[in-house]
Amino acid sequence: MKGSYLGEFQEIVLLAVLVLDDNAYGVAIQEELGRRIGRNISRGALHSALSRLEAKSFLESEMGGATAERGGRQKRFYFLTNLGKKALVDAEQLRRQFYNSLPGLSLDFSM
Amino acid sequence: MKNKKQIPAFFSRCFRWFCRKDLYEELQGDLEETFYNNVKTHGLSFARKKYRYEVFKLIRPSVVGRNNPGIYTLNRYGMFRHNLLITYRNFRRFKASFFINLIGLSTGIACALLIFLWVNDELSIDRFHKNGSQLYQVMEHSEEAGYITTSRSTAGPIGAALAEEMPEVVAAATALRMGNSNYTLSVNDRDMKASGLYVSADYFKLFSYELIQGQEDLVLSDKKSMVISEDLAMALFGTTKNVIGEVVEWEHEKQFSVSGVFRNIAANSSVRFDFALSFEGFSDEHEWVTNWYNSSPKTYVLLREGTDIDQFNSKIVDLIRDKTEGKASHRSPFITSYADAYLYNHYENGQQAGGRIEYVWLFSVVALFILLIACINFMNLSTARASRRMREIGVKKVMGANRGTLVLQYLGESTAMALLSLVVALVFVAVFLPQFNLITEKQLSLDFNVILILSLLGMVLFTGLMAGSYPALYLSGFSPNMVLKGKSGNFMGELWARKGLVIIQFTLSVILIVSVWVVYKQVEFVQTKNLGYEKDNIIFFRKEGLLWEKEKFKTFLLELKNIPGVIDASALAHNMTGHYFSTYAVNWAGKDPEDRTSFENITVDYGMMALLGIEMKAGRGFSEAFGADTTKIIFNEAAIEFMGLKDPIGKIVKLYGEEKEIIGIAKDFHFESFHEQVKPLFFRLTPRFTTNVMAKIEAGKEQETVNNLRQFYQTFNPGFPFDYKFLDSEYQALYAAEKRVAILSRYFAVLAVLISCLGLFGLAAFTAERRLKEIGIRKILGSSEIGIFYLLSGDFTKMVLVAILIALPLSYYLTGQWLENFAFHIDLEWWLFVSSGVLALLIAWLTVGIHTFKASRANPVDCLKDE
Repeated sequence: MKGSYLGEFQEIVLLAVLVLDDNAYGVAIQEELGRRIGRNISRGALHSALSRLEAKSFLESEMGGATAERGGRQKRFYFLTNLGKKALVDAEQLRRQFYNSLPGLSLDFSM
Repeated sequence: MKNKKQIPAFFSRCFRWFCRKDLYEELQGDLEETFYNNVKTHGLSFARKKYRYEVFKLIRPSVVGRNNPGIYTLNRYGMFRHNLLITYRNFRRFKASFFINLIGLSTGIACALLIFLWVNDELSIDRFHKNGSQLYQVMEHSEEAGYITTSRSTAGPIGAALAEEMPEVVAAATALRMGNSNYTLSVNDRDMKASGLYVSADYFKLFSYELIQGQEDLVLSDKKSMVISEDLAMALFGTTKNVIGEVVEWEHEKQFSVSGVFRNIAANSSVRFDFALSFEGFSDEHEWVTNWYNSSPKTYVLLREGTDIDQFNSKIVDLIRDKTEGKASHRSPFITSYADAYLYNHYENGQQAGGRIEYVWLFSVVALFILLIACINFMNLSTARASRRMREIGVKKVMGANRGTLVLQYLGESTAMALLSLVVALVFVAVFLPQFNLITEKQLSLDFNVILILSLLGMVLFTGLMAGSYPALYLSGFSPNMVLKGKSGNFMGELWARKGLVIIQFTLSVILIVSVWVVYKQVEFVQTKNLGYEKDNIIFFRKEGLLWEKEKFKTFLLELKNIPGVIDASALAHNMTGHYFSTYAVNWAGKDPEDRTSFENITVDYGMMALLGIEMKAGRGFSEAFGADTTKIIFNEAAIEFMGLKDPIGKIVKLYGEEKEIIGIAKDFHFESFHEQVKPLFFRLTPRFTTNVMAKIEAGKEQETVNNLRQFYQTFNPGFPFDYKFLDSEYQALYAAEKRVAILSRYFAVLAVLISCLGLFGLAAFTAERRLKEIGIRKILGSSEIGIFYLLSGDFTKMVLVAILIALPLSYYLTGQWLENFAFHIDLEWWLFVSSGVLALLIAWLTVGIHTFKASRANPVDCLKDE
């Protein structure tokens, strides 16, 4: 299962790509992550995560949508593959299993 | 876009430099977008800071890498196959150039290879001794009349003295070869001649002549022992096993017992001998060799590692003066590396001045020249044919080939050519090696060991790169735009380069022609010049056995003269082909007491000078008619001039303290090689001191007379095999090196000229072909065949003329330098240079002429009818 293991940051990146839907490209993902996590993610770190996810076939990408503010350069848009979606579902399920088997009080912060 | 300048330029450039090409578009786009967003939201300085930070954070393995595999990767294997295929197709398509290149390059490589083998062999001589780097030869500078001569002969006791007195010396060895060193050895009434050397006890410890029987430090500890070679053991005993202790009779005079057997001496040793006797034993019987005034044996020392040679030399410089209480004041010993002594064997006025190493250099340069000429052919033909391949280059460039790939392709092509040529060259070498060995008197062979294979590969690579460099850079530089439009770039530059290369080729060729001619002339001069004595049809052999008895020898000479075919016979103590024996113990009125000039001493029997045809300038020769001529002396002109004697006949000089009357002056004759001036010399008459018998025989009856002589000799002097030499062949041997150079350089020069012409031939063919239409039009417009011929050959003529102009002064200088080596040499005459130039021009015309003639004869209809 090592090849399809989803790290925490990678899971969040996948979710961000999913949330951004048609507009999931570098800067958008970076901003989305920044807003949600509350701190800036460097483009380099994001690049690493994206390229690893692509290598695991959780993501696919395609070039397009050049704009003037990028110096006329094309963006690379990312999409989740079915494998990527399944990986998200699996991760979610795994977590849920754990939560479900917790004894009642374990998550009571009010103690 | 207008704000673009505000992006940190340096970081932007850095990023562009390190970022992978396939990622750059996306990442740089994102970075810029973020930058402009930040400018809007946080201001410029924040944005710039952020940008720098982002670039910095992008330095990670997945991003960095210019050559990371990506969409721009070449399929290396595929390209290799493709290039090979293109190479093959090009060879097939341009068959003429292919064969010209193949023949040229393979001949060039074959020459270079032969020379490489020879040079390698020369460099290996005397370098096989295990003590090699610490082994030194003792030599002597000797000052005579203001000039320092240098010789390898040393005082007999110097080896032992050095070993004893100098702490730096681990061991010393002395070796002495007496004149003609072929001695008669006998076992059980079987006699044979073998070459012998007297060596001191430590000889086999110093030198690595491997003993297969006997121990290095013990073999010669007994003065009655003898060490023999494997071959000699086989010849004497029929076996090399258990021969220790066997007794061998030497000259039917003494008995020696075999104490060791050494492996046959390898071809790369400059010292050769069949057996060794004890030098200590020799010294016991010959007192002269133990005194410091004489110099005859060779001495070698083994020094401790780390000894400073200059310091050591300054320690021993006065050794002979000290030992002789200052009497032999002119002799200064010094040491020099034994391994280098063979190559650096020439001294001029006490300074090392080259020697054999010069020929090593000479031939290395010739090899390089020939290879260069062959490479130039390749360059010229490839660039000339370039127009045919321009479209290939254009298309490749359009498809995305960069310059490096194309350069590689062409270098690959030339290296493939060189590799093919190597194969052909190896065949050439294998075929011509026996002939080459005959000329060089070597035993070279093609053993494929690691060094040879590496050298061969090196040679291929060198040739490939040299031949391919210019075409590769030139062809790959075409602009695809121009090429595909059908325009052919910088034609003028290319033309100039090609002309320049042809000029280089012909310059080298002309230099070679002149040099070969001069060498040939000089060698011919040396061999045909009147020496002042007659060397032809004279046979000589050593006195041995009964001949040493005074009365017997007289009878012997008398009977010898009566043998049919023998014209005259006498004896002397000299070999007439080089310095043999000399002394400075000549005193005359007015001699500077400090002067140590040696006079060559030729001890003769009656009739010897007449036999050699030495002419008298004044006075008379020795004759029995006058009686008591043993108290007389004859000088040569050089000696009289040196002594400054006026009216010398009848004057008295002292020789070895004895008074001698001058009875004659002999005309100067060359008793040494032409490298040397004629030195002062005297004849004295002392029949019992003569060592060699000379007999003049009738021309044309040599074989018969030699047979008669042998028969007579064997009955007169039983037990001694008749071992003779011809004076003229001994004389020729003096110039073996020059003769070798003469023959070899002739071959190499012819090859160099041939290869140059091959290139010219190819170029002429190409030019004629390219200008076919022009010729057609010219002919239609009324140009004559002569005109066309002139048009086509004019260019080549100019090139060759320029080459001749460059080559003549150069070759004048070079050949002049070489001739300086000879004290007697030919003059460099102008016609020799002019003829060489004309010869080169004629050869070039002939080469070009074939194509030019064909082209000028062509029917214009044929060349113009199809487009």
